[in-house]
Amino acid sequence: MARPAPAPLYTLRGAGSPLNALHFGCCEGDPPLLFSGSGQGSVHVWNLTTRRAEKVLEGHSGASVTWLNTLHSRDTLISQGRDMRVCLWDLAEGRGDVTDALWTGSVGFCRCSLLETGPGRWLLAHAGEAMEEVKIIELPSKSPVCALIPQAKLGMVMCIKLWQPDSSPGPLLLAGYEDGSLALWDVSQRSVLSRAAAHPEPVMCLDFDPAGQRGISGSSEKSLASWMLDGQHRLQLQEPVALVNPGISQLCIRGDRKIVASAGWDHRVRVFGWKKLRPLAVLQHHTDIVLSLAFSDHQDPRNRMLAAGSKDQRISLWSIYNQGSSDTG
Amino acid sequence: MMQSLTPDVEVRLSVGQCVRTLTTSNEKEEVTKTLHTLTSYLDDGPQSTITSAQRAEFSRAHYTRTLQFLISNINADWLQLLTVAQCTELWDGLFLRGPPDQTLLVLMDGISSMSSPSAGLDRLVSILERFLQSGRLTVLLWTRCQGKGLSDSPQLRETLLGRLVALPDLTANQLHHHNKTIFLPQQYYPLLARDMLTVLERTCQALRDRKDCSLTFVAQALGKACVQGHSGLVFGVLAPRLSFCTRSDMVWQRVCWKLLENVPERWLESVLTGMVQAVNRPDALSRIMGNLVLKNKKAQFVITHKLLLLQYKYETRVLSILLGYLAQDRERRPLLIQVLRSLCQAWANPSAVRHTPLEQQLYVSRALLLCVGLLSDAELQDLRSELLQCMLGGMQSHLDSSVVRVRRMGMVVGECLSSRMDVNGAKLKFEYEHDEETKELLSLMTPLSEEETEPLDDRLDLSQDVKGQTVPSQAVPSQAASVAQKSGADPDSELDSDDELTPYDMSADQEMSQAAPPRYLRDCLEAVLSSEDPVRVDLSLRAIEGLVRKNTSTAREVSVELSKVLLHMEDRYNTVGFLSLRQAAMVALTVTDSVPVTEYLTTEFYSMNYSIRQRLDILEVLIMSAQELSQPITDKGGPSKAIQRVTIDTPLYPGDDPIHWRQVVERRIQSKTKRLSKGVTHPPAKPTPNRYAPVAGHFFFPLLRNYDRPQVTFDLLGSDHLVLGRLIHTLGLLMHLSVNAPVATQMGRALLDFVWAVRYHVDQMVRRGVLFAVCSVFLSMPSQSLLVELSDQLFETRAWLAGMTRRMWLKRAQSRCSCSCSVCVNLR
Repeated sequence: MARPAPAPLYTLRGAGSPLNALHFGCCEGDPPLLFSGSGQGSVHVWNLTTRRAEKVLEGHSGASVTWLNTLHSRDTLISQGRDMRVCLWDLAEGRGDVTDALWTGSVGFCRCSLLETGPGRWLLAHAGEAMEEVKIIELPSKSPVCALIPQAKLGMVMCIKLWQPDSSPGPLLLAGYEDGSLALWDVSQRSVLSRAAAHPEPVMCLDFDPAGQRGISGSSEKSLASWMLDGQHRLQLQEPVALVNPGISQLCIRGDRKIVASAGWDHRVRVFGWKKLRPLAVLQHHTDIVLSLAFSDHQDPRNRMLAAGSKDQRISLWSIYNQGSSDTG
Repeated sequence: MMQSLTPDVEVRLSVGQCVRTLTTSNEKEEVTKTLHTLTSYLDDGPQSTITSAQRAEFSRAHYTRTLQFLISNINADWLQLLTVAQCTELWDGLFLRGPPDQTLLVLMDGISSMSSPSAGLDRLVSILERFLQSGRLTVLLWTRCQGKGLSDSPQLRETLLGRLVALPDLTANQLHHHNKTIFLPQQYYPLLARDMLTVLERTCQALRDRKDCSLTFVAQALGKACVQGHSGLVFGVLAPRLSFCTRSDMVWQRVCWKLLENVPERWLESVLTGMVQAVNRPDALSRIMGNLVLKNKKAQFVITHKLLLLQYKYETRVLSILLGYLAQDRERRPLLIQVLRSLCQAWANPSAVRHTPLEQQLYVSRALLLCVGLLSDAELQDLRSELLQCMLGGMQSHLDSSVVRVRRMGMVVGECLSSRMDVNGAKLKFEYEHDEETKELLSLMTPLSEEETEPLDDRLDLSQDVKGQTVPSQAVPSQAASVAQKSGADPDSELDSDDELTPYDMSADQEMSQAAPPRYLRDCLEAVLSSEDPVRVDLSLRAIEGLVRKNTSTAREVSVELSKVLLHMEDRYNTVGFLSLRQAAMVALTVTDSVPVTEYLTTEFYSMNYSIRQRLDILEVLIMSAQELSQPITDKGGPSKAIQRVTIDTPLYPGDDPIHWRQVVERRIQSKTKRLSKGVTHPPAKPTPNRYAPVAGHFFFPLLRNYDRPQVTFDLLGSDHLVLGRLIHTLGLLMHLSVNAPVATQMGRALLDFVWAVRYHVDQMVRRGVLFAVCSVFLSMPSQSLLVELSDQLFETRAWLAGMTRRMWLKRAQSRCSCSCSVCVNLR
């Protein structure tokens, strides 16, 4: 007998516009925080103990915030907006000011990808001025590292993921393009290692699990594509996962590599087991498209929640498959 | 001088001498010699001086008496003088070598006359055991076959038969717990059957050698064993062997036919029923029985009438064998057609449909379908008009029935008959749910496949041990295989436990429809009324219930109109769950705006030009609305409310554990606390107003208004039993729900008046409804007004109930009735 479908733990209202980006800041310190980026350019900082918005940051001049992350501690926030800027925020001691800004020139929806390369040094990948271009810069110096432009015509870059593999010296970058293909770039060589036509439609989102060398990508179709990297850095497509309704706006693999969640255009969040991509749960609460997802990075695995932001201006928080013993039952 | 004596005198003298010696002598030598002398009369040893005439005389006249003498002296001293070997050789030998019929009679008499636990009895029992084991029964039957002893009296013959067939009973009566296994029916009757088979085999041999044999005695023994209820055991051995032997051997067939012909008529029925149950194919039955049905009136009656129309306990396999047997031979075909006619009559008979048990109707239907399946096209052509007549009449009486299974049976049989008759014409086609029963009936139309061969059991050996030994050796590899399968599956299943994560219920994950559901009730009304767009109609239908419950004021404005539309709505677009959606919407309307909607619905119930389905829908809606109204108002919140509650109660990060810490603490405190007395732990139920009570009359009385006014399309007291039954049920339920309502007294009075008129209705469903209604009247009416208001009717009702109970007792449905009786008794 299957357990009844789960209900959300609680919901956060009051953002006042669709929620395009979510990021947890639970790592250190109390109380745990959740950052959300809205369609009207504001970043809300939610205190998850009081469940109220602690602070609202306005810095993208009304243009929608598409991506959020934190640098070394949650005192430094990095946000990407559709005003073609990436902003760095100083939140320490109650401040809320933009300390630095970077002009990307990208008019698309492609979210940035951040990679820590050393203490106090990061690489940031973002879509560039040209449609198919991905630029990589170093933070905090803002010095450009390289620009990756594919030779073939792949259309606009839709989503990227930057990571540092154990095997090769330089970082690798996965990019999904408008024509539905995925490309694996070697950043240090500036060359495409492998390409695969994963979808017939534009790739909307992807996530990659470096430890398992496997990834998953979504599009506007009724299926998810899963793929893996073999020893020679070649992309191998695997069996796709069928969905009930088409359209996926974000995919998120949880840090412990047990589950993956998808934000669906059908108002539902789906949870799959990561090992075999077996459907596990359908989280049904929102009344409009789910736009963003985030897994909590809390130290205690039991408190690692899933947050989903939707076009219905609400954020729902779910506690799912995070208690080891009670979930195996 | 000795030579001049005739053999009989000589033998008499000699035997007399022996008996005298044994009575008086105590000397071992002498006793042994005497016993030897007696034994020498039985078989011709090499140095024998006994002539065959003397031997025959001894067997005829002196054997029985000698044995009786031996038994009566079983405890004599001289018997102790003999060694065990001598005893077995001489004393027992006298029993085992003589004419077996006499031995059997003497032994059985001896066993029944001995006192129960005694050494003598043990001795006789062991002799009887050896008698059976050494195949003396075969000798007994065979001597009877050869025509010897035909001169004996019918009484003797009867006694012998009785002893032979009832041996297990007689021994069991005498020996109680010390009975031997070989005397148990499970052992004895197969043994008897095997002996019969041996005798039949010898008969065949003798016939080939042109010798005459008589099977009368064997047939009698067979008949007697069957009529005493052992046909299963006997034919379990006989049928497979006979079926095999008759396959290629004409002599065997003749012997079998003769055997069955010789069975006395009073026992023939049990022989035949045993036989048809034991054979496994119609052609086997045909080989064994021959054309017995044509020669013997009794057999014909049993096969063509009794087994098909009077009894209904046999499995379908037996039916198909029986009818297949009739169909096998050209001479028997007329019988098949005759059977078909009588089956048709039985199936189509309206009185049978109403009064015979359902199982029997099913049995007749099966037989009918099998029969039709066996007929050739030409025969069907001849019978067409009769079949058509039967089909039409039968269909009508079946479809009129109020029992679902009967109706369904009628539909299936009608479909099958029509498809069989009209080779190229139109066919009947009904919509019904397929279940095991209908599938089985439909499958009967395809005849038994011919290639299904009999097991080639050549060495159907007379000893079963061989089989018993082979079975385990066969079972071992299959077990091994299953073990291998398991071990093969195990590692896979371990791998397959993908994650140790159990999935949640995902049934709610449906495809989303493109269009938005309507937001206003008037939009729904319009869509349902006039829209041609299936999606819109579907969405509107789904939305109505929620909208009605949400905006009660709007719902009141359009309630009657919407009810009218819904009542007449048809499932044009094959909407999923159409009936339940429509019903839920109508119930919501009735609950929200009870008075006008019930007035509309109850008026429509009696008006013209409605289908039965619609009338039944009206009743269902009324019942469900009344039920909902009578229940206390509960929070019917959706998931959003539940979420709110959760949001309020749960602290941040409660983990996945649904148990609140407070509850855990509370439970611990409870477990540590000792209570000296337990008071009321639950708070008393909160009183809420009954919403049904004020409107109960609106639901109830209009339904009673017009029942006796027949219309063109609707005659409640005439042919529309189904609606009448449901109406009475509905009224009973409405009565039941109005308990404690002020109007209950008047309602009860009116209901009792109404049901009084139909309490002896022909349809059992109506009668059941009446019982239910009466019960609910008694249970729901306030007791003080019961006696005041209904005093005159109470006594009549009680008498009627008592009569019903008595009749129902026979039909094993007394529980329902006795419950009403207990209600009645409680009144006193």
